[in-house]
Amino acid sequence: MVGRVIDIATDGRHVALNRGFLVVSDGGAEVGRVAVDGIAALVTNAHGLTFTNNVLVELSRRGIPVVLCGPNHRPEAIVWPVDGHHQQSGRMADQIAASTPLKKRLWAQIVRAKILAQGATLAAVGARHAGFQLLSRKVRSGDPDNVEAEAARRYWPLLFGPEFRRDRDDPGINGLLNYGYAVLRAGVARAVMAGGLHPGIGLMHANRGNPMVLVDDLMEPFRPAVDLEVWRLVREGAAGVDTAAKTALARAMVLDLPTAQGLSPVMTCAERLVASLARAHAGEGEDLALPLPRLPLEG
Amino acid sequence: MDQSPALSAYRIMWLIVLFDLPVGTKAERRAATRFRLGLQDLGFEMSQFSVYLRFAAGKEKAEALCRQIEALMPKSGKVHVVQITDKQYEMIRTYRGRKREPGPKNPNQLVLF
Repeated sequence: MVGRVIDIATDGRHVALNRGFLVVSDGGAEVGRVAVDGIAALVTNAHGLTFTNNVLVELSRRGIPVVLCGPNHRPEAIVWPVDGHHQQSGRMADQIAASTPLKKRLWAQIVRAKILAQGATLAAVGARHAGFQLLSRKVRSGDPDNVEAEAARRYWPLLFGPEFRRDRDDPGINGLLNYGYAVLRAGVARAVMAGGLHPGIGLMHANRGNPMVLVDDLMEPFRPAVDLEVWRLVREGAAGVDTAAKTALARAMVLDLPTAQGLSPVMTCAERLVASLARAHAGEGEDLALPLPRLPLEG
Repeated sequence: MDQSPALSAYRIMWLIVLFDLPVGTKAERRAATRFRLGLQDLGFEMSQFSVYLRFAAGKEKAEALCRQIEALMPKSGKVHVVQITDKQYEMIRTYRGRKREPGPKNPNQLVLF
């Protein structure tokens, strides 16, 4: 579902439910209300926020992720509903039973799509991108040569200049990337839960402390689309995560990507990707529904 | 980039629910209130008494909302559900007293509080 992202970024706001609306108030006075039906994600980004339990229950009931962010705009937790999909337990069982070779083959598809998308983003900003097509072809099952890292090593300096470092705790460009990825992560998390898969059983990411490994796996091919938005913002003079930047980055889930079925927003692509992954786990074909690399002339 | 191009690209539809419900007896009043609150549960906001309004992100959503409204319908009374496109919605002129108010705004992709 393509919906709206609600971001609560002012300290001390109170969030409650009133009929079908999420009501945000400050010191007892209502600041605004949004219809709950139509929310894609609730992102919280400030100190001293209060929620009523009703809000968390209602959003979970509708499968809307609530993302709790730390001071660097990085998500610290996502509220996860118990019941996301009617076939949830069956799909999770398939997921647990999936063989390692299958997972490796699926992971290779994701890495290939990500590298092609990185190349497309570089092409869109007019940077050198010739090697990425070749790199994507070098990815073998399970990516044992870690072509993904090699691509990243070339990608970041080409996109943001040689002195750029991807450091999650830095402000500036990194803060913008963190915010964009937080929105993307919330959206992909929603797709995963709506598809009845368990976020903690990943394909490749296997950090024991990360409860969302599958979400992190599946969002890889979409990251370069966010990078492109950040690049545009930086070119327009954005220095950090402010209102204008957030408004632009909140579109992360509705950026149009070319797919086998024509242009679709990222959110829809993510839903299709999750569905195809569930089919692969169930032994019904191994082709993941991944976005196609965009052509250089398309925004 | 201030107004959300993405949302409009998905052809926002607006639903306007106009209703006239009998409120002569206690049971009728209760049915009318239930209908009104039901509309609010669906995310409709009051534009005027007996006129409620909300946007739908696409035709399918609008259809789904219409069906939900149908299910809410009390036994008697008259309800119109008018669907207009975002372009038409933009042309609404709003007056308060004799003063003209600024035109309606589209919903943004990001709602920041």
